[in-house]
Amino acid sequence: MPVLILSLTLNGIVLGLVYAAVAIGFSLVIGVSGVINFCHGVMFAFGAYFFWVLKDVIGFWPSVAVVPVLVGCVGLIIERILIRRVYGLDPLFGLLITLCFAISLEEIIRMVFGPAAYSVSAPSFVKGTLIWGDFIYPQYRLFTGAFSSVMIASVWLVIDRTDYGAIVKAGMFDSEMVGALGHNLSILRTSVFILGSAIAGLSGILAAPITGIKSGMGTAILMPSFVIVLMGGLGSIPGTLVGGLIVGLSTSLATLIIPRYVDIIPYLLLGVILLARPRGLFGEQHITE
Amino acid sequence: MTDKRPATDKTERKPPLPKRLKDPYFWIFLIFLLYPTFPYFGRFMSLGTELLIWFIFTLSFNLCLGYAGLPSFGHGAFYGVGTYAAGLVFLHVFQESGFLIPIASGAVIGALFAGVLGFIIRNKKGIYFAMLTVVFTQVLYFICWRWDDVTGGESGLKGIVRTSFLGLDMTDPVIFYYFVFVVFVLAAIVIRRVADSSFGMSLQAIKQNPIRSQYLGYNTGLYRFLVYLISGFFAGLSGALYCFLTQSAFASVLDWTKSGDVVIATLLGGGTVSFYGPIVGTIIFIISQEVISSFWEHWMLLYGLSFVVIILAFPTGLLGMLKKK
Repeated sequence: MPVLILSLTLNGIVLGLVYAAVAIGFSLVIGVSGVINFCHGVMFAFGAYFFWVLKDVIGFWPSVAVVPVLVGCVGLIIERILIRRVYGLDPLFGLLITLCFAISLEEIIRMVFGPAAYSVSAPSFVKGTLIWGDFIYPQYRLFTGAFSSVMIASVWLVIDRTDYGAIVKAGMFDSEMVGALGHNLSILRTSVFILGSAIAGLSGILAAPITGIKSGMGTAILMPSFVIVLMGGLGSIPGTLVGGLIVGLSTSLATLIIPRYVDIIPYLLLGVILLARPRGLFGEQHITE
Repeated sequence: MTDKRPATDKTERKPPLPKRLKDPYFWIFLIFLLYPTFPYFGRFMSLGTELLIWFIFTLSFNLCLGYAGLPSFGHGAFYGVGTYAAGLVFLHVFQESGFLIPIASGAVIGALFAGVLGFIIRNKKGIYFAMLTVVFTQVLYFICWRWDDVTGGESGLKGIVRTSFLGLDMTDPVIFYYFVFVVFVLAAIVIRRVADSSFGMSLQAIKQNPIRSQYLGYNTGLYRFLVYLISGFFAGLSGALYCFLTQSAFASVLDWTKSGDVVIATLLGGGTVSFYGPIVGTIIFIISQEVISSFWEHWMLLYGLSFVVIILAFPTGLLGMLKKK
């Protein structure tokens, strides 16, 4: 039993880190551009599918380098053609247009790759299992957890410690004022969108060997992102990390007690947290409120 | 009354249309009264009934979006709750006495859920409001999907049948269509009364400038809560009617894409500029969905793209476009 709890806890942490990595981009785009971007999940799916295509051609590490660039380019195109048209409109427009576009993109995935789900094998250097007494755990999950942690930490460093990050944070507080101070708001929003897309694509690579890939994986990851962003507070990276861990751990550990109702647990926790702290755990007063 | 004006009145060249003929409701009611006799569509009674049900749904939704400016992305929740409530009340309580009480209870339960959510989020704004409504819908979806003992889980509620009502055999699709038509007419008139009342005016004021409205003494939170409650009532009503149209209830009615559909339908027609926008939009939406889905396996691609283009090109919808000209 303790072994089971340990492995479920580890599962939860790994899952939570992947969720958090996806949710960071979602949260930053909401903060800087005021758009609830339903296409974000599809970027996650694109990452996984691109990886699936490329890994046999160029190997694991080169694809880890190439795929985020590709997904970032897709993000650039989508932002330039579509998303920028809804800036400043009612949030419902952004939500609706990105939702409709996400439906189309998912259908394109289905057209190209078929509706079937595929399993992806872990890269050879972390293929085995870790055996420690009674405790057996797949190495790949540990690798995923470590990689996501590094990814989240570096995004946090960029946002918290660089000039660029300072502009992004100011943009989340009041984007019009940032524009008035002479920063190019349009480029800022585009760059944040590309950054978010690239992180989502990279998370898609990491998640693929664990969950497999299927055409609906993009919209499936959106709801956890919603919960995490609301839980941690809009635009807060530590909040997103904590929210991700709460969602990951609670869903994973709840399988021990109430396996049928696992999906509902994060929402109930979210309800409790929002009643106590309406802006989420790390949320501050935001311009969109 | 204008139609009693003597015909010899020379100051007016064209006598104005009788007031009743100017009322869009008159034409909408007339068209749908005659729907079963239409040459092509008349055969598809369930399509017509679905249209009427959706009219109630989108009109009620537009009270929130077009009048109060609430970006609600969770109206599917109240629709779905109405569907399940009607089904459960029918199956467990009032199986013998027909479907009137189940339908009424669907509406009341819809209002109840909308009231609870509306009370919690009455003072949230913009993005927060939209996200919280999405999350609320998702919770209900999972509950209906997982709570086998009550909702039937994945297999849904079965065994719902339309019995006879006032001596009329409701299993006949045409008679059921007219039953829904009567409900639609009543609901539509009530919703327009609400929209045209001083309450509706206040909502528009709050939409345009919430802070000024507060200074004028309006309790904006209370107004938002009330309009959510009313809107939830009619959304629940339409969901309950849908339950008896399909004679079943599945968790798919609570899927969040449903909440997206109602927003698309309302915006397409121009819910933000006209009271009648949702009706126009629903007709376009439902019919195009039927048409597009019938001729291509990957119709979702066209479906998504066409709505993206239409909404971007005409953000105020069809009626908004016509008004501008």
